[in-house]
Amino acid sequence: MNTHERRKDVELLDRCRQTVRCIERLGADTAEVYGEYTRSMSSTVEKHDLQISRSQTEASFGIRAWIGGKVGFASTNSPDRLEEACSDAVTLAKASPEDEHNRPPRPREIRPMEGIYDPCAEDFSVDLAVGEAIRMIETASALDSRVILGDAAFSADVYARAIASSRGVEASERGSLFSYYALTTAVDGEQISNFDFQFGASRTAEGIDVAPVVRRACVNALGSLGATSGESFVGDVLLTPSAVQELLVPLILFQTNARNVVRGMSRWGSSLGKSVAATHLSIVDRGRLPGGVGTAAFDREGIPHEDCMIMVEGRLESLLHNTYTSEALGVANTGHASGSSRSVPGVGPTNLEIAPGHIEREALIADTRKGILVSRYSGNVDPVSGDFSGVAKGAYLIRNGKLERPVAGTLISGNLFEALARISGISSERDSLFNLILPTIRIDQVSITGSP
Amino acid sequence: MGGRMQKLLESIAGGASSWVELRFHQRNRRRIAMRAGVLEESSSVLSVGIGVRTLVDGVFGFASTTETTAAGIRAAVAAAQAAASAAVGKKRHRVAGLADAHLARGVFPVSTNDPLDNHPLEEKLELVHRIDARLRSGSERIVSSSVGYEEVQDEKIIVTTDGASAHVFDAKPEFRVFAVAADGEDQTMGRASAGVTGGWSDLFARRSAEEMADAAIQLAVDQLSATTPTGGTSTVVLDPELVGLLSHEAIGHTVEADIVLGGAITAGKIGVHVASALVTLCDSGSTEGEPFAVGTLPVDDEGVVTRRTVIIEQGVLRSFLHNRESAAHFGVEPTGNARAFTYGDDPIIRMRNTYVERGETPVEELIGDVKQGFLLRGLGFGGQADSNGEFMFGVREGYVIRNGKVGELVRGATVSGNAFDVLRSVDAVGNDFTWDNSSGYCGKGQPAKVAAGGPHLRCRATIGGRQT
Repeated sequence: MNTHERRKDVELLDRCRQTVRCIERLGADTAEVYGEYTRSMSSTVEKHDLQISRSQTEASFGIRAWIGGKVGFASTNSPDRLEEACSDAVTLAKASPEDEHNRPPRPREIRPMEGIYDPCAEDFSVDLAVGEAIRMIETASALDSRVILGDAAFSADVYARAIASSRGVEASERGSLFSYYALTTAVDGEQISNFDFQFGASRTAEGIDVAPVVRRACVNALGSLGATSGESFVGDVLLTPSAVQELLVPLILFQTNARNVVRGMSRWGSSLGKSVAATHLSIVDRGRLPGGVGTAAFDREGIPHEDCMIMVEGRLESLLHNTYTSEALGVANTGHASGSSRSVPGVGPTNLEIAPGHIEREALIADTRKGILVSRYSGNVDPVSGDFSGVAKGAYLIRNGKLERPVAGTLISGNLFEALARISGISSERDSLFNLILPTIRIDQVSITGSP
Repeated sequence: MGGRMQKLLESIAGGASSWVELRFHQRNRRRIAMRAGVLEESSSVLSVGIGVRTLVDGVFGFASTTETTAAGIRAAVAAAQAAASAAVGKKRHRVAGLADAHLARGVFPVSTNDPLDNHPLEEKLELVHRIDARLRSGSERIVSSSVGYEEVQDEKIIVTTDGASAHVFDAKPEFRVFAVAADGEDQTMGRASAGVTGGWSDLFARRSAEEMADAAIQLAVDQLSATTPTGGTSTVVLDPELVGLLSHEAIGHTVEADIVLGGAITAGKIGVHVASALVTLCDSGSTEGEPFAVGTLPVDDEGVVTRRTVIIEQGVLRSFLHNRESAAHFGVEPTGNARAFTYGDDPIIRMRNTYVERGETPVEELIGDVKQGFLLRGLGFGGQADSNGEFMFGVREGYVIRNGKVGELVRGATVSGNAFDVLRSVDAVGNDFTWDNSSGYCGKGQPAKVAAGGPHLRCRATIGGRQT
């Protein structure tokens, strides 16, 4: 066990405090330093074989300097050159225009987050990472010889993060994350399936379970073999969690990002308290979700995470804010400053959940007269106009409540604002995809175009 | 700094017990972003570190570190060797070896007469400010806008135990504008951008910043009155940006040797007719046809001197894109396609500047011979292709063609199909050539700056739109 590694969060916080003083000496009114440290052991797979193993460490710092309402940002991953970065941030602030909303975050009480750090992760060696990668290969090989595990990886990360500012913001924490993904295709003679991608993660070494993730990717790829041309009609579209992630989530995140309200690009900026979707849809962001990939005690600006109800039964309840947007719009900060030390804080979700429905996925299919089930969506989502048009991947034609056959080259298109209002069912089962927890969603009356 | 680091890396490589590739990489990135009159970002990001790759008993290992001292680099070499050793005896197919290559030695500077550092921060801020104001005053319909400038300057030293020792400089600036127009609840976007390998004036060689702003305004406003096209298969004329995109996304990825081995549709098809005889498709480390292509690199991240690779010659598949490992596997010469985005990434097979060679038909004739079809320009939102050649791209601007004349704008169109079917259907290739706007990144686990381009060409493809 490496006690030196375990002190990384404390070391980082000390370094952040010292750097704050350096920036103040260089002429900034207020300074903020956000530090990150990561140690990563990983092993990747290509075509059923080990490809490369990696051992990586990095520390980096993101620095903001305020002079009145002017702000500059610099970042470095070279601890020897922190002073140079401080000087850069001050220079950039001096050259920038005043903006009255550029105010430094104020300190708030932060409750430590339990369950995101597993001490076992400190001792997780590259040999163990290779072992998990081999388990992924064996799982795919045992399932069906037509499946190719084209790309897969297992990664064990230990990290620390800390923030300090002239205003008294001070926080640090450490965490561990074991993550893995599998990308599969199936080949049968001349037929090549669409690829399928599945992801899994655990905060603890004990929770690592790569096999179900690989199995799901294999089964989905096999299922889309033998797909033939679809039909053109207006009908129901059932989006699996992956397709929800690719089609609906980009619009929801764009529209609820208060940055886009400040920018005049989100029509939901004036829709708070109003209905923007069918009553089936409820959405919550949970920054303290036990075991969540996006779980942390505080955001990129040191603001504590709390649950945030975004949508309740189709009615918009809250946008996602960081300090800038809350100042610009004169509302409470929801603690959604996002990003790494390498970039200016943005706005983003932590763990975003769409609430489950009351009907099982199979029953949702059985309740559909004519439509398609879409496993993945590949295409256009214009988050401003809501227009979308793209290919339904791993798609199946549904007729009279049954999955009739896989279809290829089928396009779906329409407008997502209208589609949200036409949600007619949400499954009770949900999948975790990175930091998203999503059900299968049915949308009525979508334009479906089959290839000839 | 550069000379001393190069000597240090050479000395460490000389004493290594296995094949080792050492890559020092320092990146300075500056970014200015303004949206709707507000400066959202003025930033400077320094990344510096060393990536070490090693080959132990036919197994690769990789380590990266920000410790650029002799002790730090030696520790990274040991960590890379330990990572490789962890898989020795467990990897099914050992790496047979690395193909011999023309390994680079010497200094490779950026080719420009107008280095980015000759232009102060204030000048760049002033330009962004001026263009933002122009966007917002361009039309009463414009409700939002953004302007972004970014420059990435790299210095790399690549040393391998078998003889590469290259000191490579690179500079890639880019400029982007974006406008949102509104009519009641209806909002539409217009975009324009440029990205090059080169200097400040090279960035605006084709179009000035003002011209980009005006194009974005017009596109956003015009789309408010545009209708969605009716879906179906149609004759389409693709502009150089979409031809480049098709070449890169739908063809190029399927000929990356690692993807080929993973089960792409091109496997075993060298020498086979896969496209119309009018189509010759290449990938090059140099800028061909038009200067400043953003994917230009003289030396790849394995230290191999890059060259022009003919992928499809008059319709016949001739070559895949290789690194040293895949070239050895296929028994061919490496093509110089191994690239790593940062010091923390190991080099993988990536494209550079991918294009269709110019043909002989004037563009007016390409369009003039179409009775009913579409002229499609530029990438809209989204775009993806599978290793079976199936692709779908959002189109930025679509125009109806009727009786040889370009008619009204349509919005929200997509073009899709199987890339090889589309290339087989090509019946005319334009005599023009341009690179795309090159302001984005290609993603394959790690980003890479790539250019794509070509002439206009005419083919058959599926247009997505509303089903009526």
